[in-house]
Amino acid sequence: MNLPFITESSSVEDTIAIAEEFSDLLREGDIVALEGNLGVGKTQFVKAVCNYFKAGDAVSPTFAIVNEYSGRMKIYHFDFYRISREEELFDIGFDEYLMDDEAVLFIEWSNLFQDLLPKKLYKIKFSMMLNEKRKIEIVKNG
Amino acid sequence: MMNVLGIETSCDETSVAVINNGKLSSNIIASQDFHKDFGGVVPELSSRAHLQLIVPLLKQAIAEAELNLKDIDVISATAGPGLIGALLVGLTFAKGLSLSIGKPFIPVNHIEGHIYSGFLMDDKPEFPYLCLVVSGGHTLLLYVESDVKFYKLGTTIDDAAGEAFDKVSKMIGLGYPGGPLIQKNAEIGDENKIDFPIAKLKTDYDFSFSGVKTSVLRYIEKTYNNQPVPKEDLQDIAASFQKSVIGALVKNVEKALQNYKVKSISVVGGVAANKYLGEKLKTISKKYNKKLIIPGIQFCGDNAAMIAYRGSKLYEQGLRYELTYNAFPRFHSEFIATEMNI
Repeated sequence: MNLPFITESSSVEDTIAIAEEFSDLLREGDIVALEGNLGVGKTQFVKAVCNYFKAGDAVSPTFAIVNEYSGRMKIYHFDFYRISREEELFDIGFDEYLMDDEAVLFIEWSNLFQDLLPKKLYKIKFSMMLNEKRKIEIVKNG
Repeated sequence: MMNVLGIETSCDETSVAVINNGKLSSNIIASQDFHKDFGGVVPELSSRAHLQLIVPLLKQAIAEAELNLKDIDVISATAGPGLIGALLVGLTFAKGLSLSIGKPFIPVNHIEGHIYSGFLMDDKPEFPYLCLVVSGGHTLLLYVESDVKFYKLGTTIDDAAGEAFDKVSKMIGLGYPGGPLIQKNAEIGDENKIDFPIAKLKTDYDFSFSGVKTSVLRYIEKTYNNQPVPKEDLQDIAASFQKSVIGALVKNVEKALQNYKVKSISVVGGVAANKYLGEKLKTISKKYNKKLIIPGIQFCGDNAAMIAYRGSKLYEQGLRYELTYNAFPRFHSEFIATEMNI
């Protein structure tokens, strides 16, 4: 996969294929920021990455704030959706997760606390198109 | 006389309870019972909040049980699943207490606490029973054989049922907490007005609520073009959405009733407080002639009573744990059996 990468997904199967191709780029210590409204496929994308690394069956992290998976790769799956204040993230130990260079960190709704993120990261933007297709844009920052 | 202390700090609720030979002596829940002294406690994601609340809650729980600290025989606390920072407050506090008063420490699985929470009621479930765990973070269908053995029949593959309620509630402008607000609006709405389809899965007892959440979002985008949802339409959307989610839960319960021999059905967790779910399950339980146990509202949300109850059962079963027992973030249990011999 060459970045920046812009594509359209017209099905869950498409999204899984894109996620698998993206997984090949991932190395320990990488951070992936996921942006996009409810129901655009952020969790589905991480689920496919976890499957690719045989790290387990990922589900929505909204309630738990962070889920951990491990297989061929250790994956932290964060969700900022339910976070209301920056202090809550510090309290949870978000900075420690950020510094773990043995795992890949995925963050859903990362745009809610953009200032807390490092400059060097992958950013994946999901958006809904007409006709139920999803536009997926992957860029590498820093 | 055996007094078991329970401590719950797995997420945003702090709670301490005392149970005496299966009978609840006190159950103090910070967000519900602490308004007077603390000027209202809003649950927040903060270990610091747990830290500030735990000692006064313990004092109140012991006082309400009309006991002294030395009368406590067993100390139990939630070890997981949950937020590690939050869990550690209650768990470490319990270990310290155990060490200082020389009484055994029993770590409790939060989900197991919910699974057996029906036993806090006067009318109790009978083994084997079918248990539906529905909360903001979990959706599980289980066959519960005994105090120390249960089978997982299905779970959510994406969002939890309670999460779908919260997200849709926020989406249509009703706010938080989603469960009670959707239910209230649904009561006066037309549940057949809009079709919000539930994803069909290949497995028998799993759930998926991400699709229905998305279809509500599509509907309001399409219908209202990013304008707020008019008040008169809110009730119909809430009712149609609720019908869809509850319908999916009830459908799997009914399927399980047809395939497994059980004596009772127990629905637990925050969403168990939903009246529409209760009514639908009442109909099903009558149809299949099963006893239906839904814990009282004080035992549906996160509470320490269920932790103390579970702790007392594990202690009775002869289980003992070291103080080195660690907190764990994700749901797993030593009591889940993988093969079902029925």
